[in-house]
Amino acid sequence: MLDRRDFIKAQAVAAAAAAGGISLPAAAQSSLVAGEDTALKWSKAPCRFCGTGCGVMVATKDNRVVATHGDMQAEVNRGLNCVKGYFLSKIMYGEDRLTQPLLRMRDGQYHKEGEFQPVSWDRAFDEMARQWKRVLKEKGPEAVGMFGSGQWTIWEGYAATKLMRAGFRTNNLDPNARHCMASAAVAFIRTFGMDEPMGCYDDFENADAFVLWGSNMAEMHPILWTRVTDRRLAHQHVKVAVLSTFEHRSFELADIPMIFTPGTDLAILNFIANHIIQTNRVNREFVEKHCNFRLGQKDIGYGLRPENVLEVRAANAKDPTDSKPIDFDAFAKFVSTYTADYTAELTGVPKERLTALAELYADPKTKVMSLWTMGFNQHVRGVWANHMVYNIHLLTGKISQPGNGPFSLTGQPSACGTAREVGTFAHRLPADMQVTNPTHRAHAEEAWKLPKDLLPGKIGYHAVLMDRMLKDGKLNAYWIMVNNNLQAAPNSANETYPGYRNPDNFIVVSDAYPTVTASAADLILPAAMWVEKEGAYGNAERRTHFWHQLVTAPGEARSDLWQLMEFSKRFTTDEVWPAAVLDANPSYRGKTLFDVLYRNGTVDRFPLSDVDQDYANDEAKHFGFYVQKGLFEEYADFGRGHGHDLAPFDTYHQVRGLRWPVVDGKETRWRYREGYDPFVKTGEDVRFYGNPDGKANVFAFPYEPPAEAPDHDFDLWLVTGRVLEHWHSGSMTMRVPELYKAMPMALVFMHPDDAKARGLRRGSEVKVVSRRGEMLTRVETRGRNKPPRGVVFVPWFDSARLINKCTLDATDPISKQTDFKKCAVKIVAA
Amino acid sequence: MPFDDITGLGTSAERHLASLLLHVRPDRQAMVRAAIATLPGTELHIEQAGKMVVTVEGPHEGWIADRMTALHLLDGVFSAVMVFHHIDRGHIDRTEVEAAEGS
Repeated sequence: MLDRRDFIKAQAVAAAAAAGGISLPAAAQSSLVAGEDTALKWSKAPCRFCGTGCGVMVATKDNRVVATHGDMQAEVNRGLNCVKGYFLSKIMYGEDRLTQPLLRMRDGQYHKEGEFQPVSWDRAFDEMARQWKRVLKEKGPEAVGMFGSGQWTIWEGYAATKLMRAGFRTNNLDPNARHCMASAAVAFIRTFGMDEPMGCYDDFENADAFVLWGSNMAEMHPILWTRVTDRRLAHQHVKVAVLSTFEHRSFELADIPMIFTPGTDLAILNFIANHIIQTNRVNREFVEKHCNFRLGQKDIGYGLRPENVLEVRAANAKDPTDSKPIDFDAFAKFVSTYTADYTAELTGVPKERLTALAELYADPKTKVMSLWTMGFNQHVRGVWANHMVYNIHLLTGKISQPGNGPFSLTGQPSACGTAREVGTFAHRLPADMQVTNPTHRAHAEEAWKLPKDLLPGKIGYHAVLMDRMLKDGKLNAYWIMVNNNLQAAPNSANETYPGYRNPDNFIVVSDAYPTVTASAADLILPAAMWVEKEGAYGNAERRTHFWHQLVTAPGEARSDLWQLMEFSKRFTTDEVWPAAVLDANPSYRGKTLFDVLYRNGTVDRFPLSDVDQDYANDEAKHFGFYVQKGLFEEYADFGRGHGHDLAPFDTYHQVRGLRWPVVDGKETRWRYREGYDPFVKTGEDVRFYGNPDGKANVFAFPYEPPAEAPDHDFDLWLVTGRVLEHWHSGSMTMRVPELYKAMPMALVFMHPDDAKARGLRRGSEVKVVSRRGEMLTRVETRGRNKPPRGVVFVPWFDSARLINKCTLDATDPISKQTDFKKCAVKIVAA
Repeated sequence: MPFDDITGLGTSAERHLASLLLHVRPDRQAMVRAAIATLPGTELHIEQAGKMVVTVEGPHEGWIADRMTALHLLDGVFSAVMVFHHIDRGHIDRTEVEAAEGS
């Protein structure tokens, strides 16, 4: 007879074996429900952290989350959980959780230099509305703005986009996803006419080769990494190539490891295209039927302030997006200069390795999956890098097929679902529509039941530009939700902090914790998080997934959705819309923004009784209708019928997510390919239907150097990034004692010879110094990250050591995404 | 290494037990095996085709997380991910187990 301990252990072993596909003796396969104690209520939810979108089971007891484990029924992670996911149950219970609004006050009044004091929601919104109205009156809609997030739920992002664009009539709305994958999103649209990957995670089990282009999946996407590892270990022929500017944990699995000089990945990509052409392995039929060729603009600058010498010197900084049609031969000639010799010399990678990598793409029998995150996207030529990887998949026709495809991974749980699909970027509307397109605006006005010509057509400020405009006093009323931008933004001491403390500006931060950003605000609003509200996220493989509210938020913390909708009640159309619009549409007069945006007959059409009686829903109860369902259904109508189709709301509460387009209840795993995608007709084979002619664009771009490189005074490359234990700025994970203990401070990882040359050793106290700022830390020469000589790596999770004081605010000029991977620093003893 | 050998289990009110799935470099399996044997509270149960099932027992979640991170970062380990986690509060209850076994 087993005792309880042995029994539980046997269960644990059986569960792990099942999840790992390991066969067990029949006797050991006892039925089990992992850890599901009968006294607990278990419900499904997606993980709160990265873009992978793992399913977790969440146990609640007495209005508290007490346990979580990987969801065996979730296709994404099949019961597995990474170390961050393991601590999900703890992220809501940090000791310094914000539970009431805090306003800077002096002598009982708001004062920019006052101390934070608790106030009621009424008082908080009164002051906030007063400031918004002041700014709108003095400067107009272009002086108000909002910085949102890929961690917003779908309906929160949707409510925000309505409030900003239609309510306040400004496109000054951008998500922190701008820092994360704007380059990927822009290149998807420019290439395929539609955003997001064509393939999905099922590619992992079908590919013969994996190429990591600037992604450390072992630490950042550990669950997907197990799928790559599984495939590699179980199939002898499978190869893994890992490219990076420093050696990291993913190199353990690399058959083709490659350390290249920062920025030269562009040359490697062109070399591969050239190799495919020179060795006569272009898929001619595919290219002729499905591709157009274009020559892109070169010398496009670095997205710095326009007066910066690099911008003045750049020939085409003003029109970086231009391109003109060319033919295949012109493209072939363009990339022909990227020979193995030239590329090897430029990149520092041996020729044989470059050729081995190129063969993974060139060999028609090898199914290859390209994967990337920040190494590609946080790149002054990030859009080009994304285009160039599509080029090599398109030249070979290795796309939109099981195991064959370019796949952009994401860093936030709803970077795709909320930032991209809902359209919370400064230039976007729902379902890939653009604010500059009058037809798209008219369509949105009609769907939102709003007057014609209400929506503004001018692209709003993007993330980095918002900071500059705050500093310059042109953006004055600013609301930051679910993100920690003062820690995340580049060159923060010079370009971000001054804008927050500019006396002309009123800064509001909604967060669950007192982040560095919140502490620099004028008003802090306490936010409900994760399962304290009903939510929906969209992951990197187009999977939309839902969860119910499982507990109530502490104190007076309220969801972002509640905050957005409640704030809208404080404005009438007469206060914020132009007289001409109201004269032409008098029925809108005297109504609140809440009435016209959310009480419009569509958003409020589902009654409270539609809410699942087993779960709380604080927002529905407060507003008197099923808010989330109404917002979702209004939003989903934008995409239905043309390739962005979402299932009915209620379906998502039943399933473990579905990958859009969902047509007749069926999800789509591979887009653009006949037999997989219902929008591709019989006989068409492949159709990139996002573009009117059904073809994808192959762009010719050169290698161009980064904005700043090491020199005599600042002699090292600085690369920033993340670590396994912490998620992004650490505002949640640093509050989990166990994760904090595992990685308590951001170290500078450097080569032992670089340390020795500076009279330093492991553990030495040093300053990392750039032309913009400095950071105090200690040297690590033996850690998991092993930079080559000349490169140092510093993670950015540590709020006590802000590496972004050192980084440069150079962006990709097309996507406006910052390059956090390349600037020059020196390391000196502290 | 079994958990009881290191800490007095009787002094802890809680016992945490987790199972992890490891992916291991085939040529370093012996090394990984040896490393696991030296980690208190950690036990190797199954080894098959580059995969290992390891249980971790400890007095609190931090113990489990420490082991999980240590295993993930071990030379020769590609990844260590969690599958099952159980928290036991109070005394061992044999009856409950027998009932469960019978069901």
